[in-house]
Amino acid sequence: MRPATTKIFSELAGEAFRDAMRRRIVPIIAVFALLSLLAVDSCTSCSGSGQVSQNGVAVSTDEISGWTGMLIFTVLSLWTMVLAGLLASDHLAETVFDGSANLILARPVRRSEFALARLAGALGIAYVTGAVVLTASAYLLHFRNGVSLGAAIWAGLACAAGALVVAALAMALSLHLARVATAMSVLFCVGAITFVNVFTLFGASLGRIGYIVQYFTPPLCTAVVVALKPWIAPVTPAVDPTIMALKLAFWVVASVLILLAAFRKQELGT
Amino acid sequence: MVALELVGVSKRYGQRYALRDIDLALAEGSALGLLGPNGAGKTSALRMLLGFTRPSAGTVRLQGLSPRDPASRVGIAYLPERLTLPSRMTVRSFLRHHAVLAGLNGAERDSDVEAVLEQTGLSARAHDRIGSLSKGLTQRVGFAQAFLAKPKLLILDEPTSGLDPIGVRDARDWILEARERGCSVLVSSHLLSEVERTCDQIAIIDEGTLAAKGALDEIVEAGETLEDAFVRLVGK
Repeated sequence: MRPATTKIFSELAGEAFRDAMRRRIVPIIAVFALLSLLAVDSCTSCSGSGQVSQNGVAVSTDEISGWTGMLIFTVLSLWTMVLAGLLASDHLAETVFDGSANLILARPVRRSEFALARLAGALGIAYVTGAVVLTASAYLLHFRNGVSLGAAIWAGLACAAGALVVAALAMALSLHLARVATAMSVLFCVGAITFVNVFTLFGASLGRIGYIVQYFTPPLCTAVVVALKPWIAPVTPAVDPTIMALKLAFWVVASVLILLAAFRKQELGT
Repeated sequence: MVALELVGVSKRYGQRYALRDIDLALAEGSALGLLGPNGAGKTSALRMLLGFTRPSAGTVRLQGLSPRDPASRVGIAYLPERLTLPSRMTVRSFLRHHAVLAGLNGAERDSDVEAVLEQTGLSARAHDRIGSLSKGLTQRVGFAQAFLAKPKLLILDEPTSGLDPIGVRDARDWILEARERGCSVLVSSHLLSEVERTCDQIAIIDEGTLAAKGALDEIVEAGETLEDAFVRLVGK
């Protein structure tokens, strides 16, 4: 009898996570995470008195703290998404092209179980790293700058969803592109989407291409910024949070389905 | 009952046929040797049987089911020609991983892993990382995973590749042992003598078509060796 799907998936996902942990990039990720935390600590440790004015108008320190916090949190969230994409860019493809997936798929294992387990393995590393960096940043920003933790939780969830979308699409792409090309695509696409999201959020128009990117790609940066809206009040990004959340949910489902369809069509060599 | 069958199966890559109109069946408890020159299409046939690729035409059945159905692969073990194992795993942890996927759990899993380690002579190397093993020992690990959970059907692609003469003899004994307990076997090999000793049925594929199939004594004529018959049928 075929083992239960949950049993197969947990076994494969556990091994995929351990496999991801054994990669040479993991110590580098740990160093980057540590450096990020040191940078956040440095950026939030300012104290003292004084007054900041912009065009002769006094700006409250709360406002500055809110914008600083949003910038830090958004950059770290995007960093987590890129990390997920880079880790996923060969986590499935390598097993397909070196033939090691064949031994697993000759067992009573569904392709979907294998692909999702590999995705979970790559995402596991990104999620652990993101959780550590974002949680520490949120606490530092909350206790030092007084921003709300609730917004950080929503932004963290948006980051997790964005990381899943980026990783699933990178994994699907990696079945057709070389690893370096996939990694470059991840960097380019996340960068381009972020650029357009940032400008569009605050009312700038980037023409037809900008419109297409803004409305037909995953709202990676938009989702995080909109979640952090309370930090930069009274400024309000020009995006409806409900529509943005639905769009992100759509992309989560679509990216996973794209991955499963791509892997289902994949011919396995030996 | 048929363990596996291909009915009118063709596989085309662009304009080139890797397999053309192949009919093949393996009865339960039998052993079929798949022979053919390099590039004849033997591995393509095995890949379709395991659902790794889809046939361009025809029907493939594994234990009566479509190979895309994971239930068709219950009780099946596969040893590929190009064996790539996770180099950072130890031999024992690799076998435990496969034992779980084969449906074993707890004490049953552990005892089966120890049994195949013993059978394949790997007990002393159980804690070693697979990446530190020689090619021959890695091939033994491949055999060990294939024998987990006492499979009903063994699909072996060039199983003795990389093995020394003692390893080749051991592999032959393991295959014969599996047959004795009723396991069906499909072996693709270049080594005619090995096929002759382990299989009762033979199929010869040449340039994607089936040149001959049947019992060994039906294919090998009086006064001929299997090698003579192979050369006669393949025409090279």
